[in-house]
This record gives sequence, C-alpha cells and structure tokens, in this order.
Amino acid sequence: MLAEVRGIADSTLADLADDIDRRGLYPKSVLLALGEAGAFGAHLGGASADYGAAIRAIAEVSRVCGATGFMMWCHDVCGVYMEQSGNPALLGAALEDHAAARTLGATGMSNPMKTFAGIEPMLLKARRDARGGYVVNGALPWVSNLGPHHYFGAVALVENGEPAASHHTQETPHEIMFMVRCDAAGVELRHCPSFSAMEGTNTWAVRLTDHRIGDADMIADPVRPFVGRIRAAFILLQCGMGLGVAQGAIDSIWAVERQLGHVNEFLDDRPDDLQAELDALSDRTLQLAQTPFGSEREFIIDVLDARAHASELALRAAQSALLHQGARGYLMSSEVQRRVRESHFVAIVTPALKHLRKEIARLSAPEIPS
Amino acid sequence: MTAEVIALVWRKFICRACGLIYDEAKGDADSGLAAGTRFEDIPDDWACPLCGVTKADFEPHVDAPVARRAAGRPMATRPAAGRRRPGIVIVGAGRAGWQMAAALRAHDEAVPINVVTACNGDVYDKPLLSVAFAKRLAPGGIASERGSEVAARLGVRLMANTQAVRIDALASALRTTRGTLPYAHLVLAHGAAPREVGALPAALCWRINHLDAYRALRERLDAAGDAGAFVARHIVVAGAGLVGCELANDLALAGHEVTLLEAAERPLASLLDADASRALLDAWRALPIRFEGGVRIDGISREGALRLVHLSGGRTIAADHVVAATGLATPSRLAASAALAWDDGIAVDASTLHTSVPNIHALGDCISIGGRPQRYIEPIARQARRIAATIAGRVDPEPYDSARPPIRIKTTSHPFTIH
Repeated sequence: MLAEVRGIADSTLADLADDIDRRGLYPKSVLLALGEAGAFGAHLGGASADYGAAIRAIAEVSRVCGATGFMMWCHDVCGVYMEQSGNPALLGAALEDHAAARTLGATGMSNPMKTFAGIEPMLLKARRDARGGYVVNGALPWVSNLGPHHYFGAVALVENGEPAASHHTQETPHEIMFMVRCDAAGVELRHCPSFSAMEGTNTWAVRLTDHRIGDADMIADPVRPFVGRIRAAFILLQCGMGLGVAQGAIDSIWAVERQLGHVNEFLDDRPDDLQAELDALSDRTLQLAQTPFGSEREFIIDVLDARAHASELALRAAQSALLHQGARGYLMSSEVQRRVRESHFVAIVTPALKHLRKEIARLSAPEIPS
Repeated sequence: MTAEVIALVWRKFICRACGLIYDEAKGDADSGLAAGTRFEDIPDDWACPLCGVTKADFEPHVDAPVARRAAGRPMATRPAAGRRRPGIVIVGAGRAGWQMAAALRAHDEAVPINVVTACNGDVYDKPLLSVAFAKRLAPGGIASERGSEVAARLGVRLMANTQAVRIDALASALRTTRGTLPYAHLVLAHGAAPREVGALPAALCWRINHLDAYRALRERLDAAGDAGAFVARHIVVAGAGLVGCELANDLALAGHEVTLLEAAERPLASLLDADASRALLDAWRALPIRFEGGVRIDGISREGALRLVHLSGGRTIAADHVVAATGLATPSRLAASAALAWDDGIAVDASTLHTSVPNIHALGDCISIGGRPQRYIEPIARQARRIAATIAGRVDPEPYDSARPPIRIKTTSHPFTIH
C-alpha cells in the first residue's frame, strides 16, 4: 500500500500540488486513487488495524502536499468515528465504502475539542424532538474536506429546556456526537475566507438550521467517554502531517546541496541533524501507534508531546528549507514557500501547539482533593 | 441627559469562534449593516462576516490594554540560553535545583542557566511541612524567598509553572510545556513524588509533599467555624513512616483528632526498634492520636463532605480528611526518555555522581546509589558542588562521600535521631 501511495504522491499529486495551493483545486481524483490503494483502510478493521501504516501514508502524501495530507487525516479520523460508534448504520457497507473512499468524510471536532479543553463554548445546540431524535442548530466556522455528498462528525450540547446554564456552570453537560450529511435538510455550506495553504481543502462554514439527527446518524452519547477513548488515535494520525511536511522540507534542502552547500553550511538546522531528529520522532510515533486506544495518563502525555514535536520540527525544517533554497524557494510557484505555510497550518490546526502544551500541563499537575 | 450620553457610546462585540469584532460605530457594510447599527438591531440570521457563525455566538467586547514590555528596554535578568549558546538547564526548583544553580554560578558568572519548574519556585524547607503547627508557622510564612527573587539574585532564568516533558538526548534538548530548551548540560533535580497507591486515590486523599498541597490543606483546616472558633477535624493519616508520624504528631498538636493507620504492627517499624516505637506511642498518649497497626486500607469513598476509609475486614472509618503518607517514588518520565540507567531512581555513581549519560546530571531526592534512593537534605549542597565541578571541567574534583547522614525524626512530642 505504502509504495502505491508514494507513487501517487510523486506523480499525480506532485503535478497538482501548485493548483491545489494557488487555484483552490480540490484533488478529488487523488483522494479516490488513494482510497483504491488502501490508504484509508489501514487503521480500520479491528484486530488487523495498522495505525502505523495509516500515519505513514499520510506522511508520504504530506511530504508532497500538506493540504492533501490534511484531508487524508480528516477522512481517516471520520473512519475512526464510524468504526468506534458501534452504530450498525455507520458500520458494514457504510464503513467499507468509507475505507475505500467511495464516499468521503470529514470532521467538525475542532470546536468540541476546544470546549472539552476549556478554551471555547460549544457552538452547536441540540434539543430532543417528538420522534426521539434531536434537532440541532448553530454554525461551525471551518470544516474541511466537504462536498455535496460528503459527511462529517460533529458534537452538540443538548439543551433540555431548563433555564439556559452556560457550559461552564453545568456540572455534567449532556452532549451528543453525530454524523452530518452535507446534502441533508437544514445543512447549509457557506463560503469562508481564503485560508493560507489550505485553499484546495474544500473548507466551508456550516450552518445547521433545525437539522434533524436520527438513530442512523448517532456516533456517541455520551460524548466525553467516547472522545477520551479515541483521543490518542485522533492525535496520532495527525502526526503524519507534521512528519511528512518535515520530510518534504529536508528533501528540498538536499535538492540544492550540490550547488549551494558551500554557503548553506553556515545555516542552522542542517539536513542531517533534522533527518536524525525526524527519524527518532517517526520511530517514537510509530511505537505509540501500536496502542492507538491507550488512555493511561503518561501515554496520553507522550502522544500529545509527539504531536507537538512534529509541529515544532515541521516549522523548523520548513523555515530552514526556505533559507537553504534562498530566492528559488521564495518563488510563489516553489513548493518550499508553500511548505512554510503548510508547517504553520500543522502547528495551528486543533489541537494547536499551544493547546497541546496546555493539555500536557493540565495532565501533569498533581491532583488535589476537592 | 446622562442616559442619552450613555446611549451614544458605541459598543463592540466579539465573535467567540474567530475573534472578529463587530463595532456598532462602523457596522458591517458587506452584509448591509450601516454604520451605527446597534447589535440588538442586527437580524438574527446575520452571520459573522469572517467565519459564518451566528449572532448568538458573539459576546460583548471591551478593549482592555494588555501590559507589555516596551521595545528596547533591557531584560531584568541575564539573557537565557538560546539556540546559539546552549547553557545549563536545571529541572526542579526545590532545594536541589536552587543549590545547583548557586553552585554553578559560583564557578561561572556568565554561563546561561535556565531553571525549569512545575511550581512557582519559591524557596522553602520541605521538612517544615510536617512541623509547621508545632513551630506555629502560618502557611504564608513557610516560604523564605520568592522564586523570582532567587532567580534575579543568581542571574538565572526561572521558567515557573512549566512542565519538563521529555529529554531529547540526541539533540541535547529538553522539551517543556513552554518550549524546547537546548542544553550543554542538563541537571535533573526534580525530586520524588508520592507513590501512587490504588486504594488511596489522589482525588480523595491529601499528599503533603509540596508547599502548594500543604497550603491547600491548611486553608481547609484553618477555615474557622462560627464566630471564628477553631474546629477540630478528624483526620486519617495513612502510613506511619517518617512523614506519616510527623504529620500525625503535628496535626494532633494543632488540636485535630488523628487516626494513624499502618500496615505494620507499630509506628516507624522500618526505622526504629520495638522499644523506640513504644516510647513514641507513650509520648502520644497526651495527644489526640489513635494508632492502629496491622491495618490494610481497601479503598476510600466520598459521602457528602466526609471520606469513608474502608479497611479490609469490612470496618469503615469516617473522617473529614485523609492524608496519604505511603512513601515516595521518583518519577521516571524524564530519565526514561533519555534512557538513563535506573535503579529505583536515577542511578548515579557513588563517588562521581555521574549518570549513564555524560552531559546529564542528577541530584537530590531523584537519585539512587547502589539501588538505594538518596532522600536526605544534608548531602544536597555537597552533591551540587561536586556536579558543578564536573560541569566546570575541574580536573580530579574531590569525590562525593555517599555515607548516609543521620536522620532526624521530628515527632516533636518525642523526636528521634537515627545514626
């Protein structure tokens, strides 16, 4: 699978990367080809699941195009929601189609993840309807990898008709996690402003107006134990983006070494040092990926730190690649300056570097009786 | 008149999703809101022009200036280690960390030193935590110097409230929650932490190993009753080793009713002979301490404001607070990340104090020599001097003497010294 993924990345995707970045081309054909190659099924399938292979596939693609690597993560983590939901409507044929990218999925979990970390209030609100389902209202600012027939996982706070208490004061807020289908009633995709390095990711603001959620759409209720269970898997898959962007940057440094090595030797962060650090981080990440559903505190800290390290290394490697390439890397058509922007994205997408560090600090603090 | 003036003030509202500010004075021309459109007059289906969330996701915004350092003003302390000149990084700002910083400064007044600590770095003597009542110390009076003051005095950069997460030994860098610090030498002085015991969950038990935890417990104990009256609490202390006995003694002197539970048959069983244990129990007759030996705790539960301590055999003891004093363990996270040799603590050489990695050093409660943790106060200053000499490159520095110092057990109603 990985050789095939590498082949797609180095040929079709490499040719499209500039159009994806600058013309906002959505690389649907690439995603479908990656699906056929098995890139989205490696981490699914219970006992035979291989998170390491899924992470490496994302890294192979991110090495060439960070935006496409990000969409792979969106689709992969949506598969995790489906598989872990235990909901028959999201398993079986639905999950098989998803794993092969015959249907495309995404994730709207940035806001709830920040809510759970005490950073933001929940943007979607749900209330019970007469038929035993829920009706959801609200708007999510930025959801990527969307399209007319795509779907994405989201979370809403259930309001039970009692006087509205803010989420900060409610002791045990009731939330539900569900799949939103972009073509369903009450779902509206709205344009959002241009995003650096992410123009080709089909990112939309999603407005839900009295959008009905039935049993077939439910992913989890309650949400927090579910999110706790998939947290490591969610973050580990993201590491593939940072690892790949860093590798692409190191490759760009080597590409000019013969001509520019005599001046580049005066720069910080030379490619062999970066590669050694990247190799050690890759090994560490793949080691952690052997137990993707671990939930023990020290393990989660290691996972958060691997993700933070991948962000930091991508930033440094991309910056260094630009300095190594000089003017030629500064051309708007150069992958080198594009990768600088991609590395910024890796560091700010939820969980952002600062959120990762805040969460590590929270988990590390000694507990005191209440 | 006043009401009209207030009404004329334009207000601002901030999008909680993306931070866009709606200014009533300016309106939002792109979505057809004229300048001067009041927030309440905006239609409910209006969307944030930047990110598309709804009006309900905005909240009032007040511009408040943030205090920031003016450009060009000199920093109060010496510049910290940067990428260009990696200096020395010390993890921990207890006695070991600060002694280490002072010893390094004595050798070299220019080398950049970073002190990384999970707490605020205030200086205090940890042994005081188990005799503060007997010494009539207010909790606010236990710290003798603020961390920021010591840092300024020694010319080091203090990174307070910062977790050290991982050592990248390959790159000689320490990963922390406030960034990654390259180092020429790393000194681990992070001490030991209360051993995790499943039956004594941290959410229900106090573990008094740090000034912060002590302060939190004192705050609860000192909360006065009606008319400021002292309220005696029933406190279960789990574990009658050195710290458990000292705390039980001190809490009882303060007037609290203490039940001291211990798995062995007598207090201080691993340190004292039976006669000495008996002498201690005799001395405690005058205090509200009840000792129960040969007891196993199965678990703790919460019932209202009370804690129920469940003993094996089915008996339950209700208490206002439970203090766990069941021993210490050295956290292994940092040592393991650098693959440091480990033997119930960071294994160091008895005479050179070398760890298994040349530019990583360790001292204080986190080290072990010959498999025995070294949790004593007196040797710390000598350890710091020896490590400072190694780092300074002194040829043949004086070997460290690892003989165990005398142990003072500060059960003030009947203290002991073990030689």
